[in-house]
Amino acid sequence: MAKTFPFSAIVGQEDMILAIQMVAVDPSIGGVLVLGDRGTGKSTAVRALADLLPPIKVVEGCPYGCDPEAVNPCLSCQQRLEGKSATKLKSVTRAVPVVDLPLGATEDRVVGALDLEQALSRGIKEFAPGLLAKAHRGFLYIDEVNLLEDHIVDLLIDVAASGENLVEREGLSVRHPAKFVLVGSGNPEEGELRPQLLDRFGLSVEVRTPKDLDLRMQVVRRRDAFERDPEGFRAQWEDANAQLRQRMLKARKAAGQLQVSDDLLRTTTHLCSQLGTDGLRAELTLLRAMRAFAALKGHKQVGTSHLRSVAPLVLRHRLRRDPLDDTDSGVRVQRCLDEVVPA
Amino acid sequence: MPEPQASTDSARAWGDAQLALLALQVDPVGLTGAWVRAGHGPVRDLWLGQLQQLISCTKVPANTDTERLLGGIDLAATLQTGRLVQQMGLLTQAQGGLALLPMAERAPSSLVAQVVQQLEHTTFGVVALDESDEDEAPVSESLRDRVAFWLDLRRTAYAEAQEALEALSPSEVERARHRLTHLSASDEQIHGLCTTAWALGIYSLRAPLLALRLASVHAALMDKDAVEDEDLQVAARMVLGPRATQWPASSPPPENDPVNEPDTSPDNAPPPEPPPEPPTESPAEPPSTPPDLEELMMAAAMANLPPRMLDQLMLGSQPTARTPHSAQGTSGQARSAKLRGRPLPPRRGSPHAGARLHLLATLRAAAPKQKLRSKGIAQPSQGRLPLVQIRAEDFHIHRFEQRSSSCIIFALDASGSAAYQRLAEAKGAVELLLQQSYARRDSVCVIAFRGSSAPVLLPPTRSLVRAKRALAGLPGGGGTPVALGLQAALQTAQNLKRQGSTPLLVVLSDGRANVTLKGVGGRPQAQADALHAAGQWRAQGWSALWIDTAVQPEAKAQQLAATMGATYFPMPHVQAQRMANVVGDLMQLKA
Repeated sequence: MAKTFPFSAIVGQEDMILAIQMVAVDPSIGGVLVLGDRGTGKSTAVRALADLLPPIKVVEGCPYGCDPEAVNPCLSCQQRLEGKSATKLKSVTRAVPVVDLPLGATEDRVVGALDLEQALSRGIKEFAPGLLAKAHRGFLYIDEVNLLEDHIVDLLIDVAASGENLVEREGLSVRHPAKFVLVGSGNPEEGELRPQLLDRFGLSVEVRTPKDLDLRMQVVRRRDAFERDPEGFRAQWEDANAQLRQRMLKARKAAGQLQVSDDLLRTTTHLCSQLGTDGLRAELTLLRAMRAFAALKGHKQVGTSHLRSVAPLVLRHRLRRDPLDDTDSGVRVQRCLDEVVPA
Repeated sequence: MPEPQASTDSARAWGDAQLALLALQVDPVGLTGAWVRAGHGPVRDLWLGQLQQLISCTKVPANTDTERLLGGIDLAATLQTGRLVQQMGLLTQAQGGLALLPMAERAPSSLVAQVVQQLEHTTFGVVALDESDEDEAPVSESLRDRVAFWLDLRRTAYAEAQEALEALSPSEVERARHRLTHLSASDEQIHGLCTTAWALGIYSLRAPLLALRLASVHAALMDKDAVEDEDLQVAARMVLGPRATQWPASSPPPENDPVNEPDTSPDNAPPPEPPPEPPTESPAEPPSTPPDLEELMMAAAMANLPPRMLDQLMLGSQPTARTPHSAQGTSGQARSAKLRGRPLPPRRGSPHAGARLHLLATLRAAAPKQKLRSKGIAQPSQGRLPLVQIRAEDFHIHRFEQRSSSCIIFALDASGSAAYQRLAEAKGAVELLLQQSYARRDSVCVIAFRGSSAPVLLPPTRSLVRAKRALAGLPGGGGTPVALGLQAALQTAQNLKRQGSTPLLVVLSDGRANVTLKGVGGRPQAQADALHAAGQWRAQGWSALWIDTAVQPEAKAQQLAATMGATYFPMPHVQAQRMANVVGDLMQLKA
């Protein structure tokens, strides 16, 4: 098990890699929606996500993986704290969780349900956390998100917005933190995504299968080498992965320090109003994305060049669709961008 | 019936299936298994028998629930013993071997999704048995993309399936596996695989990877020290050939391209002859100059192209067009209402046949009877009594409400001179409806009838992207074969019904039929055929809407609508928005 392809060894798909790195730098950007063909490295990139971030500290035994320094920990951690007066909770380190939400998962599995084990063997009512709890402080990956059923989508929309999972069912009443980065992938030819869910994704990227033959060969060669000898291959890339983690950590710190000038902010809102995006979510996400992008690049100032780079990722899926206009929304964003922020 | 060339082809399919067995014996996990299209019959049984003899297979029936699939609590044993009994998941049992999915094309999307997800995490292969017909949706693409072998035994006769390759002995398997770890391909070879795959329009990068893997396995089977061209040819034929979606630019289309019969619609009736087979042409194709590796591989792959490709070529359709109904997840939604949907209050019942136990309700039902029961039970020899005593009569099960989705079938009259304007508006209406149907998750399907055919232009879909592409080149003109159109609609509706969605037909025509069911002219017969087809629709009891496009309300259209039991709606100037509204209203009425 646990043989994941090293993140730093992924070839091509720059947009997707960039978007994923940006949300890892600033999870408040939202999530990443990856739309595109099969066999383009979507799953590979997602499985490798844990490589991006250093292991996190979690409270030992906490079912929700709380941060030991969390301001408002979950109920089970609060109980633990009450036992010992004001001492710090014992913690362990583990990799950032990357949780899969399979198509057709039942509501029980997603939000959690009554713990059968406890109920049957000891006759007590206890909550068994679901996938949302497992994904806390990490990533929640949904393949074929456009085929996800509506009632699961409703759940996700709510939890993704509030960062908290509230379970009121089967006589249980549980509230636990569930802050995660949503990563969805799918093929738009197989079904559309509900606009409400679309809006919850901070960034969207379109992946196309790489057309460059050398690139394709390189992908095949690396993947083949990895499958032959997973451990050896991982060891070979460990240095690069460590560097990547360093860069991510630095970017995380830097992103918090960066300021966006009023002028730039005005340009940003102008761009959004030109494109007619609803609400202020687009502006907010743009702001965060610009900071994360500049931080990743190691720049000290946020400028229009950053806006130009991130705007397509942030805005493409937020445009209102006109059924009689065939223009790709990416093109529309680019057109408006050229108008508002000339290169 | 089978022509000589077809029979050699089907015999080769069997040979390939045999080779796949050997390869899977060596490396079931690396090759991730096979997609086997075959009807239930002696040929498939023979192959399956061999497979199960050689490799450990775990059967995963379509009604498997998550707990059984991935492991969880064994409820029956737990209740009986009073302590927790875990059961191993089917996919865990399949580790190192193969999971066998019977009737994989009907498997609920949730099952397929979980199998696919587990493929990423653990080590097993999948053999998906697919019994779908040509016009039905095959196994979901996410699964197909991941397995190396695409075998088609549908046309293999039992007599052709006699010879079997000798199975490997355990020591031979060991040796091949050992050899496999040392084999690697050269850069030129990888380059060759990548170019071949690209030229054939295979864009998923999993394909060249799986082909590379198969080449290595083949080399290991042949006791070679390095991957040779011959191994790559085998891999190209078996992995790349069946996945091809286009003709490579360099090689000419087959010589027997029947230009004289481009009008027969392949979707409608079964073609009178099996689709022409490229393989008989291709072996003769290799050029006389010393062939380089890529050409060899291309020739090998071309020998094993999917049969539909020629049809698509004749139609001049987009080479990348997906097979109909490729959207998985649309089928089977109505069937699993026991498991998903909006929760309803629990009900007494036993937790089998896919229904899930509602634990709390069960415990609640058992609670008042605990005292009574603990008296009646003999003290077990081990001492401890189970804490809660539950009997079968306490069982409550989950119930969910699930609205089955609907599909709107548009049957468009594309004949005559007014067609262009009308079609453009109808196209707009389809797109508008698709937009509105986000929340309801309804799908849309378009049939256009004109001249002597009624092809399904847009198979049932929810995708706006696909709809736009399919409707872009909508042709118009010719006679009015109302009967053909209605019949195509009926067929589509029956397919949809089988998949669990409710059909709603919208006919857009003036009802002046002048082409008969047989595709020839003649008003009286055409009208009679149309009335007959309309009656058939009514017999099914599905709703319909007839939008009369004639300038004055047309008596014939009214008569047809009445026969169909359809709502009649005259709309002399078709407008996209208005039509979408009418259909939307009708759906709400019927819902």
